[in-house]
Amino acid sequence: MQSLKINNLVLQQDNKTLLSINETVDGGEVLTIMGPSGSGKSTFLNWLVGMLPEGFQASGALYLNDQDISDMASHLRHIGLLYQDPLLFPHLSVEGNIAFAMPKGDKKERRQTITEALKQVGLEGMGQRSPNSLSGGQQARVALLRVLLSQPKAILLDEPFSKLDSQLRQEIRELVFEQIKLYNIPAIMVTHDESDAVAAKGKVITLASVPA
Amino acid sequence: MQLNNYYRQLTPVSCCISFCFVIMLSLSSNVFASATSAEADVAAKQNSPLWQAIEKRGANQSVYFHAWGGDAQINNYIQWVGDRVEALYNIDLNHVKLTDTAEAVSRVLAEKSANNHNNGQVDLVWINGANFDSMAKNGLLAPNWAGQLPNFVLTNPTNNPAMTRDFGVPTQGMEAPWGQAALTFYFDSLKVKNVPETLPELLAWTKQNPGRFTYPKPPEFLGMSFLKYALIILNESQPTDVKEQLYLPATAQSQALLLPKLWSFLDELHPNLWHSGKHFVSNGLALRRLMADTELQVSFTFSAAEIPSAISRYDLPDTTRTYRMKDGSLSNIHFVAIPYNSAHIDSAKLVANFLLSPEAQSKKQETAIWGDNSVLDLSQLTPSQQSLFEVAEKQHISATIINIDNTRLLSELHPSWVKVITDQWLIRYGVQ
Amino acid sequence: MIVANTLFTRLVRNSPYLLIALLVVPVAGGLLGVLLPAFSWLPALNETNFNLSGFSQLFSTPGIDKMVWLSFSTSLISTLLAFLITILILASYFNSPWLHRIQRLLGPILVIPHAAAAIAIGFLITPSGFLTRLFSPWLSGWDTPPDWLFPHDPMGISIIIGLTVKELPFLLLIALGVLAQPEIGKKLRAQHKVALSLGYCPMTAFFKVVLPNLYGYMRLPLLAVLAYSSASVEMPLILGPNTPPTLAVAIMQWFHDVDLSLRIKASAGAILQIGITVILLLTWKSLEVAIKKGSAAILVNGEREFGGMIIQRFTHLLTSIILSIIGLALVAMVLWSFAGFWSFPDLFPQQLVGQHWQTAIMQMQTPLWNTLLIAITSTFIAIALTLFALEAEQQNTKTISSISGFIIYLPLLIPSIAFLFGLVWVFEQVGSQHAYINVILAHLLFVLPYVFLSLANSYRLLDPRFGSVAASLGASPSKIFWQLKLPLLLGPILIAAALGLAISFSQYLPTLLAGAGRINTITTEAVTLANGASRRTSAVYALVQMLLPALFFLLAWAIPKCLYRARA
Repeated sequence: MQSLKINNLVLQQDNKTLLSINETVDGGEVLTIMGPSGSGKSTFLNWLVGMLPEGFQASGALYLNDQDISDMASHLRHIGLLYQDPLLFPHLSVEGNIAFAMPKGDKKERRQTITEALKQVGLEGMGQRSPNSLSGGQQARVALLRVLLSQPKAILLDEPFSKLDSQLRQEIRELVFEQIKLYNIPAIMVTHDESDAVAAKGKVITLASVPA
Repeated sequence: MQLNNYYRQLTPVSCCISFCFVIMLSLSSNVFASATSAEADVAAKQNSPLWQAIEKRGANQSVYFHAWGGDAQINNYIQWVGDRVEALYNIDLNHVKLTDTAEAVSRVLAEKSANNHNNGQVDLVWINGANFDSMAKNGLLAPNWAGQLPNFVLTNPTNNPAMTRDFGVPTQGMEAPWGQAALTFYFDSLKVKNVPETLPELLAWTKQNPGRFTYPKPPEFLGMSFLKYALIILNESQPTDVKEQLYLPATAQSQALLLPKLWSFLDELHPNLWHSGKHFVSNGLALRRLMADTELQVSFTFSAAEIPSAISRYDLPDTTRTYRMKDGSLSNIHFVAIPYNSAHIDSAKLVANFLLSPEAQSKKQETAIWGDNSVLDLSQLTPSQQSLFEVAEKQHISATIINIDNTRLLSELHPSWVKVITDQWLIRYGVQ
Repeated sequence: MIVANTLFTRLVRNSPYLLIALLVVPVAGGLLGVLLPAFSWLPALNETNFNLSGFSQLFSTPGIDKMVWLSFSTSLISTLLAFLITILILASYFNSPWLHRIQRLLGPILVIPHAAAAIAIGFLITPSGFLTRLFSPWLSGWDTPPDWLFPHDPMGISIIIGLTVKELPFLLLIALGVLAQPEIGKKLRAQHKVALSLGYCPMTAFFKVVLPNLYGYMRLPLLAVLAYSSASVEMPLILGPNTPPTLAVAIMQWFHDVDLSLRIKASAGAILQIGITVILLLTWKSLEVAIKKGSAAILVNGEREFGGMIIQRFTHLLTSIILSIIGLALVAMVLWSFAGFWSFPDLFPQQLVGQHWQTAIMQMQTPLWNTLLIAITSTFIAIALTLFALEAEQQNTKTISSISGFIIYLPLLIPSIAFLFGLVWVFEQVGSQHAYINVILAHLLFVLPYVFLSLANSYRLLDPRFGSVAASLGASPSKIFWQLKLPLLLGPILIAAALGLAISFSQYLPTLLAGAGRINTITTEAVTLANGASRRTSAVYALVQMLLPALFFLLAWAIPKCLYRARA
C-alpha cells in the first residue's frame, strides 16, 4: 500500500514554531493544506522535497511507504512536483519532456507509452511540438503527464491550478485528481483556493498565520 | 669665478709653488691653444645668423623626443635634459618612451603615406644602425643639419670619422652623435669560477654549464650585436680582403665566404643555451632579469653602467662583476636624428645641440646617472669643461670593468648584414 | 508612443545613430586601412599597384603554419577550457552558497588587465618562480632553477593557462549575470528543481536542463572571448614562445619592423588573422551543432546519474587548484614588489624594502594621470551615449534591431590587431593630431560595448509603469529621465562605469597605436616593463594595474549603499 507519513513534524524559523503536522496520506488520497501567505506552506513543501532553506529547522520524520526518507537527498526521494507554472523544458519537445521524466528503458516501449499517455489527455499527435507553441491548458497537461510518467511514489501540488482560467481550471483539476486516483499515488496539495480543496475530496488542514 | 678664487688663495704662497704653476701653465698651453680654437669655432657658429635664427624660431615650443624607454636611469636623464632645455630655451621636451625604435620609424612612414609632410609627430629620434639606414633610404630624415650645431665641433669630426658614419654608412648631416657603447659581459662571481673570456671559451663553458647562457632573438639589437661579435671573431683567420667585406654591403658572395662559420658555431652553441635554444628572450633587459633569477650565469649588455645601479636596486646579486671579452668588444655610436616632417625642426636642433654640450655629455657619463661614454673629444674642451668629466664618486666594484684596457674595440658591420643575418637566422633557428 | 519634440528628445532620438557610427566608422575605416596595403597599395613606399606580393611574402615566412596553428589552438583550447570549467563550477555549486563565494574570489581576476595577469602567472611558472621555490630544494633537489620550458613553451601551454585563468571569471560572471536576471534565473532554478523531483542527480539535472537553456545566453560572450583570445597580444607576448610566436604577435612585430616593406606583409597578415578568427568562430559553431545533435538522444534517455560524484570531486579539486594558482600568483607578485635580493631557491626575499614602490610611484604620476583622464572621459561618453540610446529605445518602444545589437559586439568580434593599425592610418588621413582624442576614440571602441551590455538589461527591466505614472503626473520626458530613471538605476550605472573604467585601464594596443606612443598609461608601462629587467618594478606596476579597477568597483559598490543608508 502506497503511503506518505509525516511523523510529528515541527517546522521552526529562528526558534519560532511555524507549524506542526502529524498526518498520513494513503495512495490515491489528496491532503490539502490551506493558509494565508507566510503561514509556512512553501517551507513545508520544501521540507518534503528535502530542500529546506537555511534559517529553518525541522524535527520529526518523513516516511514514504514505511521507509524513513527524512535525510535522503531530494533527487532520490521519488516525490514528484507540480507547480502553478508548467515549467516545461523549452529545449525539448513535448515528447522529450515526458521521455526526460520516464525511467530508462527500451526506446520503442517508452515512445509507445508517451503516445498513449498523450492520447489519454487529448494531446494526440502533439509529441513533436515545442512546449512554447502549446496553450496554457495543454502545457499544464504535459506537465502532469511528465510527473505521472516519472513513476513518483508521492506527488506534491504547489498551487497547481492558480494560473488557469476558471473553465480550464475545473477541467485540469478533474484530470489531475482522476489520474492521481488511477495511479494510486499519495498527494499533498497546497492551495488557497477553497474550490480546489473541495474538489480534492480529502482531508484539509488550515494553517494559521504566524504571529509576527 | 672659481679660477679667480684659486688665484687669490695662491698669492700668499711661496715662489716654489708659483714656479710650478708657471710650468704647469706652459705645459698645458698646447691644449689651451687647440681648445681655444675649438671654442672659437663654437662661439663663431653660435653667433652666426643661421644659428641665431634657429634659436629664435626654435624657442618656446614643444619637442617630442622618441627614445627607447626601457631603462629608468636613461629616462631620468632625459627628464633632466628636459628641465635644462626648458630653462635655456623654454622648450617643452616630451619623452615618448618606445619599446622599439622601429615604432618611430613606422610612425614617420605612416605620416609620409598620409601626405603629412610638415606636421609630423616625431621631432627627434634616438637611433642608429639599421633603423637609421632604413629611414635614410626612405627619405624620412631631415638632411644636412648636424653641421649647423655649434657643439658638433667638439666631437672633432674632421679627425674622428666615426662621428659622421653610422655603422659605416655616411650620416650626411642627418644625425648628430649622442653617445657610444661597447659590448660588456657580466657574471655572478659566486656561481662562476672560470669566466669565459673569449668566444671559444664561451662555447666550452656552455658545454660544461648547459642552459646558463643565451642571447636575445634577432633582429633585437643586443642579440644582433652578439651575433656580429661572433661573426667578426670567427672570421679573424680569414684573409684581410675577405674580412673587409663585413664592412661593405653584404653580397651573395661575401655571405658565402663569411656566414658558414657563424652557423656552424651556432649549431654547436644552441643545444647548450638556456631553454636548449628553443626559446630566445625578446630583449636585452630580459637577460638581466634572468641573471637576477640565477637562471643565467653569464650575460652581456651595451650599457655597463646599468649593472652597478641594478645591484643597488636589488635587481642583480651583489656578487655580479663586469668584464670585456679579451678577443674584442663590439662598439658603436648612437645618434639622434630629426624626421623630415618634424613640426619643430629648429627646436629639435636646439635639443640636439644641448645633448652635445659638455654639461649634458659629462652628466651622461656619470655612472650614477647613465654611464654612457661621451662622444666629445676631450682635447677640444676648455679645462673647466674637461673637469666636468672627472670621476669622484665612490662606485660599486662592478663599475670597474675587468679587461677594459686589455682588449680592443671592434667596429660595427655594414647595416645590410643585419637583415641578412636575421633572415637566415630565422630560417635556421626561428622555427623549432 | 507620442513623444514631445524637445531638445532632449531629439538628442535621445539621434543617440543610437551616433553610438553605431562611433563603433562602425573606426572599425570599417581601420579595416580599409589594412586592406589596401595588404594588396600592396602603400604610396609612402611608392607601392601603388595592387597585387598579391604581400600574401606570397606572408606564406613564405618560415614557420607561418606554426604561427597560425598556435593562434588557432591556444585560443580554441583556452576558450573551451574556460567554458568547461565555468560549466563544471556552475553544475557543482548550482544551489550552493559556494557559487557566489567562488565568484567573489574570482571576481578580482575579471578586472585585472591581461598584461598584469600574464605577469602574475609568469612569476609563478617561470623556472625560478614561486612554484619551483615552493618545492626546492627539499623535494626537487634544485639549488639552481631548472631549465624547463615554462613559460614560453612551444606548444603555447603557458598562453593557454594564462588565457583560461583570465577568461574563466568573465564567463562565470556572464553566466551568473544571466541567472541573476529575475525571469530567466528563477525559471531555470525552478526547472532544475523539477528535474531533481523527477529523480535526476543535481549534476545531471544541470547538464540536461539548465545548460541547454543557459548556453543560448552565453553564446555571444563566448564568441567574443574566442575572437579576442585568437588575436590578443599581451598574453602571447609575455607568456608565449617566439620561435615562432603567435600570428598576432608576429603581425605586431612586422608592423614595427625596421624594414618598412614588411608593412605590406603585416597587412596581409592582419587579413589572415581575420580569416583565422572567422574559422575559429565557425569551428565553435559547428562544435556546438555537433554536440547538440550528438546529445539530443542522451538528453531524454532517462539516465539520471552520470558519475555526478566523480565530476563533483574533480570540480572541487579543479576549483581549489585554480584558486591556489591565483592566490599564489598574487602572493608572489606582492612579495616581488617589496623584495630586496631574492635568490633561488629561497621562498622569501632576504629583506623587504619599500624602495620599488617609492621610485615607481614617483615615475608613475604622468602615466597614472593619463590613465585616469582617458578612462574617465571615455567611460563618461560611453555611459551617456548608452543611457540615451536605451532611452531612445524606450521612447520608440522597440528594442534596438538585431543588426545594431550585433554591431555593438563588432569591435569585440573583429581582431583588434587587424583594424587598429588601419585606424592609425585613418587618423592620419583625417589629420587628427590630438593624441588624447585619438586614444579616447580608440578606447571607446572597447568601452562602449561593455558598458552597453552591462547597462542594457537593467534599463530594459526597469518597470515602464514608473514612467507612465510620472508622465500622468505631468513630468516631461527629460524630467522622467534625469529625476526618475537615473536615480533608480544608480547602482547599475555605477557598476557599468566601473566596468568601463576597468576596460579602459586595461587597453594596451589601442593606447599604444592611437596615441602614437606619446601617451603612457599604467598598462603600456607595465607591458614595456614586463619584458624589461626588473621583476620588482614590473610587480609594482602590475599591482597598481589591479588596484585601480578594484578601487573603482569598490566605489561603485559602496556609493549606493552609503546613499541609501543616508536616506534611511
